[in-house]
Amino acid sequence: MAEWAKQLAGIKGVLLDISGVLYDSGGEGGGVPIPGSIEAVEKIKASGLKLRFCTNETQATRGKFVAKLQRLGFNILVNEVTAPAPAACRILKERNLRPHLLVHDDLVPEFDQLDKANPNCVVIGDAADNFSYKNLNEAFRILIGLENPILISLGRGRYYKETDGLKLDVGVYMKALEYACDVQAEVVGKPAKMFFQSALAEMEVEPQQAIMIGDDIVNDVGGAQQCGMRALQVRTGKYRPCDEQHPEVKADGYVNNLAEAVDIIVKQLHK
Amino acid sequence: MAARRVLKAVLVDLSGTLHIEDSAVPGSQEALKRLRNAPVAIRFVTNTTKESKRDLLERLKTLEFDIAEDEIFTSLTAARKLLEQKQVRPLLLVDDNALQDFRGIPTNDPNAVVVGLAPEHFNYQMMNKAFRLILDGAPLIAIHKARYYKRKDGLALGPGPFVTGLEYATDTKATVVGKPETTFFLEALSGTGCKPEETVMIGDDCRDDVGGAQNAGMLGILVKTGKYRAADEDKINPAPYLICESFPQAVDHILHHLL
Repeated sequence: MAEWAKQLAGIKGVLLDISGVLYDSGGEGGGVPIPGSIEAVEKIKASGLKLRFCTNETQATRGKFVAKLQRLGFNILVNEVTAPAPAACRILKERNLRPHLLVHDDLVPEFDQLDKANPNCVVIGDAADNFSYKNLNEAFRILIGLENPILISLGRGRYYKETDGLKLDVGVYMKALEYACDVQAEVVGKPAKMFFQSALAEMEVEPQQAIMIGDDIVNDVGGAQQCGMRALQVRTGKYRPCDEQHPEVKADGYVNNLAEAVDIIVKQLHK
Repeated sequence: MAARRVLKAVLVDLSGTLHIEDSAVPGSQEALKRLRNAPVAIRFVTNTTKESKRDLLERLKTLEFDIAEDEIFTSLTAARKLLEQKQVRPLLLVDDNALQDFRGIPTNDPNAVVVGLAPEHFNYQMMNKAFRLILDGAPLIAIHKARYYKRKDGLALGPGPFVTGLEYATDTKATVVGKPETTFFLEALSGTGCKPEETVMIGDDCRDDVGGAQNAGMLGILVKTGKYRAADEDKINPAPYLICESFPQAVDHILHHLL
């Protein structure tokens, strides 16, 4: 039996990544569920374990994004999701920051409450086709013109998987602007500790009592482990075999998919 | 000073050293003629990514410089040489104008990526295409990694940020072929039969021209034209071998002291 399964005593909550674990995004209908994932979510909810979704999804507002997953068959609610844009808004408000947004069109409504005139910072998200030279140049000019350039990046992933292949993620363009302006971005979202901690706080579970399941060895697994959680990597989504030989991060376990992980977790619970 | 070296080759930067935009640096045409009377090989070197050798030659001829096309060595030439050495087929993210310097190199079914200054190619779709090739093992070749450059309407992103992004995405390092890389200076000499220790580089960019050349084992003469700003010479270590007002004075020094 899997080694990690023997050490599940005390697990009270499960944190789930969404893209690459529940479904693959892209194409007509917005995405395709990964086989077994819909049932796996139901199983966790029926087991008595606490559940929260911890995602770096920034191509749409939480409401729109959750509605899409519900249409695909998932039992998921907006108040079960920890996502970067709402977290970023709180930070911007606290620090009186007026953002220039380089984000997907569908994410803009998340920032409606904020004053965007005369920006004093740049917020960059998974903008996909909005990552045009023109838009990047505009963000660059604003940053380079600021006496105190602040770049907030909603996540720092390298790439993600869509139904038609791998695509560049926000981290790539964060690095591009960091290099151009010689600044360091602040990351809101995985793998930032604060992000995981806020998800745990919402769940009312201590790190040692939680297990994170994701497809990104660095941002999901590594980030969660840095907070004191256990973490599994699934072999779906952006997973590549070389992930299992990552020089810095060793997952507590590698599973084929969410369904397999949940089967093992729930079985252990009932022992 | 160290023991006298034998001088056999002179590398000359173009923009900022021989000419500033469409004007020659005063006295440079005549100074070049004098240099040609000496027993040295001469090469003209530049980091351009937009202009082909033909374009450069046109401008220099208009300014009455006596230069042959095969004496010009650009970062595009350096990229081409590398592609030929590695025998790879590139996805060329370069300005349309620069494509002629890659004529003859197959580009079907690419297994390499070359990134120059090409805003029209730095869109999400093309970047994804390049990313997937590199992730599959295609080498990433950068003409240079400038952060930004000055355009008429303000500052604009150079190729550097996009190369850096692709390096991060694929966890690989680009091979940078332009100045100040050592390989650029060594490749510029190929065909001359001369060694770096037998070469002097003249340029206006302290870090990229003089610093790069000296790191490659050459002597570097910094001229105070073009992009030169006071105290630039303090930014490299070792300091430039010599600082001159402009190209004609650098040539004088070479003719009187190094030959």
